[in-house]
Amino acid sequence: MNEIIEQYFDVSQMSKNFDEVLNGFLITLELALLATVLALIWGLILALLRQLPGKPLLPVRFLTIGYIDVFRGVPLLILILLISGSLAFLPLPKELTIPHWLGKPDNFWYGIMALVLVYGAYYAEVYRAGIEAVPGGQMEAARSLGMSHSQAMRHVVVPQAVRKVIAPMLNEFTALLKDTTLVSVIALNEVALVGRDIQSKSFNSSALTLGAIFFLIIVLPLARIVDRLIARERARTSRGGTPEVLHH
Amino acid sequence: MLRLQGVRKRFGHLEVLKGIDLEVEKGEVVCILGPSGSGKSTLLRCINLLEPPEEGRILLEGRDICKGPESGTGEESWELNYVRQRVGLVFQQFNLFPHRTALENVTMAPERVLDRPKAEARAKGTELLTRVGLADKLDEYPERLSGGQQQRVAIARALAMDPHVMLFDEVTSALDPELVKEVLDAIRELSREGMTMVVVTHELGFARDVGDRVVFMDDGVIVEEGPPAQVLDEPREERTRKFLGLMLER
Repeated sequence: MNEIIEQYFDVSQMSKNFDEVLNGFLITLELALLATVLALIWGLILALLRQLPGKPLLPVRFLTIGYIDVFRGVPLLILILLISGSLAFLPLPKELTIPHWLGKPDNFWYGIMALVLVYGAYYAEVYRAGIEAVPGGQMEAARSLGMSHSQAMRHVVVPQAVRKVIAPMLNEFTALLKDTTLVSVIALNEVALVGRDIQSKSFNSSALTLGAIFFLIIVLPLARIVDRLIARERARTSRGGTPEVLHH
Repeated sequence: MLRLQGVRKRFGHLEVLKGIDLEVEKGEVVCILGPSGSGKSTLLRCINLLEPPEEGRILLEGRDICKGPESGTGEESWELNYVRQRVGLVFQQFNLFPHRTALENVTMAPERVLDRPKAEARAKGTELLTRVGLADKLDEYPERLSGGQQQRVAIARALAMDPHVMLFDEVTSALDPELVKEVLDAIRELSREGMTMVVVTHELGFARDVGDRVVFMDDGVIVEEGPPAQVLDEPREERTRKFLGLMLER
């Protein structure tokens, strides 16, 4: 028992490395927040492309579905390695292949790219569930008033869909935040890599445990918020609003 | 004003409209009766091009709004904008936008589609909602309104686009009985103002009072039509008699 406490919960190890682990976690958070914002935008674009009506746009829908399926199927770790290992050799402008935007190192941006490519596909599916949960009569009413498909989407369907997907989006954020640690494999100084360095120098895992605790501090309140949002949405729908409940 | 010639509509193997001919004069109120599944709602949705017909012609103020599916692909081949800005449709389930207030429901399309200035759209929306008796509900969200109030907002919303023809699709069927009258009164008022209307309804009394003509549909065809007194009191066709008998037993 003592060994467990000593290996994982050594308070002196934690306090000694607190600042370093916290800095690593802040990089993780930065990565996760930026990736989430970009993935939310990219996912909405994908979801809207997928909903375009009419026969002539069939190829667009087909390609979009293909993208979503592929990037939900590819392991994030492999995608990170594919991007970081070879992007620099592609015949594209250097600002794109070896990015140093906002003063961040290239491996930060490789991590962002991989996360956005994959989570954009996940988010597209969440948006789709939300869009499909908006009753068809809403689109019909908007169209019968003369709105175009895109006007109806923008002013009627998407605003309602977004309300329905806030809870599942927060769940996806939790998953993304945790997956961010995979970027440690390309030597980005985020929390997992910092913790591992300390672990290999000190033969003690308490710094990594501290990193895990930082995650829980963010994730546990989120879980409660999600519960409350779901309960609120359920109360709203049972009062005779929109009848569909979102399952994700 | 509105003329349908040989309109047909199929859903898969099911032929819902089997050749409909119908003419509606300006200012006329045509009430369509018929059992459920007879194609009444589909007919309205065809006129609005929500469900473009496969065959036949629909002339709106002399203009053929169905160029036919062979003339192109997708909805671009239909005269969507022309139709939707001239034909108002009110649904059985109201379909108000739940994230917008009553007034915003009414002003959204004029602002977005007709590019009306916000102040003008609001003034017109306020006037329309006042006309349907909802002057005190402008800023309420739909979920706080009764079914009858929601349906009156939906009527005001359709009127805000200055339609030349109004279509009503069983607009009282989802309402509690005590709320039916307020909605029918709103439609009655419109007919007094000379609005051209096609009303799909189960309210025989309303059809008799307000309808200039009653059309009885069954199984995708028009079985008979004529002045309300004739169709409702002395129906020529057996199918009409049977349906009216069932309605009176309710």
